[in-house]
Amino acid sequence: MAGYLSSVRKDIDRWREAGLIDDATASAIAAEAEAHHRRGFSLGSILALLAAILVGAALLLLIAANWEVFPRLARVAMIFVVILAGYGGGAVLKKRGQHAFAEGLWLLAAIAFGGGIALIGQMYHLSGDEADALLLWGGGTMLAAAALRSGPLTMGAALLAAAWMVYLTVEGGAGRSTPLIFPLLALPLWAISVWTGSVSARHLILMSLMLFAALLYLDRDITWALLLLAAVSAAVFAFAVLRAELAERVFGLGDGLAVQGLLGFITGMAIVQADRNDSQQFLLMAAVVFAGVVAALLLAGRGNRALRWTAYAGFIFELGIVYVMLLDTMLDTSGFFLIAGLTLALLAWLINRVERRIAAPRSDIAGEGA
Amino acid sequence: MKLHSRYLVAIAVVLALVQIGVLASMIMGRAAILRDGREVVLEVLPVDPRDLLRGEYVRLDYNISSLPIELFEGLDPDNADLATDIVHVRVSPNDEGIWEPVAARFGAAPQAVAAADEVDIRGGTFLRNVTGARIIAVDYGIERFYLPEGEGRAVEENLRERNFRMVVAVDDSGAAQIKAFYDGETLIYREPLY
Repeated sequence: MAGYLSSVRKDIDRWREAGLIDDATASAIAAEAEAHHRRGFSLGSILALLAAILVGAALLLLIAANWEVFPRLARVAMIFVVILAGYGGGAVLKKRGQHAFAEGLWLLAAIAFGGGIALIGQMYHLSGDEADALLLWGGGTMLAAAALRSGPLTMGAALLAAAWMVYLTVEGGAGRSTPLIFPLLALPLWAISVWTGSVSARHLILMSLMLFAALLYLDRDITWALLLLAAVSAAVFAFAVLRAELAERVFGLGDGLAVQGLLGFITGMAIVQADRNDSQQFLLMAAVVFAGVVAALLLAGRGNRALRWTAYAGFIFELGIVYVMLLDTMLDTSGFFLIAGLTLALLAWLINRVERRIAAPRSDIAGEGA
Repeated sequence: MKLHSRYLVAIAVVLALVQIGVLASMIMGRAAILRDGREVVLEVLPVDPRDLLRGEYVRLDYNISSLPIELFEGLDPDNADLATDIVHVRVSPNDEGIWEPVAARFGAAPQAVAAADEVDIRGGTFLRNVTGARIIAVDYGIERFYLPEGEGRAVEENLRERNFRMVVAVDDSGAAQIKAFYDGETLIYREPLY
């Protein structure tokens, strides 16, 4: 956000010097931009949430230490008090307009719920139930996010759901690999993120779905999950770019949706590619990924800084994969890069010509950086 | 929206009570196994202590943790993709008072009706397929014994030197719960209900 504010300030200065706006308008615009963006992001809220996470970690470790000075019933009572005081106190603060501390207290209460589950496991010497414990914790947090309409709790629930999926995959046994029902879990999470207005939670959910596809491949050898991920991501990207208004109404992610589309496309393709590294398909996929990255830049890169950086990162990543894995021999790879480079150069030349023709009447306006 | 904000405190309190209720019901469920479950005595075979979120614990194995494949009913050892990872193990006491496995089955209790001195314990296995297996490892959810921080190593040393026994409570569904820990004949730990 600071980046946007400073670039807007530069623009305003330039417009004022060019005589497009007077001093009063310039300061009015600057003040409005600042006020508007302060609403979206507050350092105080972030610090309150970080504080809640630290206090929550202290609480979890206090339980883990199994400190006998504290009888276990006292520990249970402490957890119950933190849950009640956290949710209730947070609600009181929220009504008084203290949003930052309200969210912090709610987060602390949700952590205490997880601590309570862990404490019961410790009290009764339970073993082998960690996945169930994570799921219960995530479910409780999801309920809290919905009931309290809390963005940070929605993110917490999304993280716990992903942690549950990863735990089942990593500590798997019979019937305990990547849970196929994970996408179904993502649906209520998504609905709650709409209700709580949490854009960050939606990003987390999309990324956990990408992780789901990757785990399906790694744990169950389901390659088509990744191809599906790449295809769906490409479709989402096209939707975000071609039907921007509708996409905004459906996903509400702004510029981020195109970024997620590109990210999913690269993730899916790159892992499949690594799997097919000694076949003809590798060459084809490398070409598709490069073409996809370039297409993404051309279609949406102009006004979307995050997308540009994702595309650059994807380009370098893909270059690295092809460079390291090689297409048979170094000469073949060299030839592939040469053809790809010449194609791009031709494309750049064409685009430059078109841009110069469009921009000719206002040639003094500088292009956007990065 | 206005409605939500007006009742926010009430909603928060109900939410807190629901979560507290979930935790309390978990505690009551465990206490019920301890109070009403049948007692089974198992021999303890120590493994190693570790640290995790829930604190320091000793990992334990029992005399019923590794079962020979012959014990299992209705299992074709040459073609045995497992439809379930749930195992029901029937135990019965020997002359020294240690309960030994007498039968086991995947997915359901052994078919014969359990005798008065027999108890069925429910466990799980990490296998996907038992083709060619001679031994099946089963977990019962009682493989950890939590200790105050710093005591895990010492207890583990003792476990290696002497014979320990565990009294385990088992409810009707077969869920097992650690109840009392004996060093030979000496009681070193008894689980309070709450």
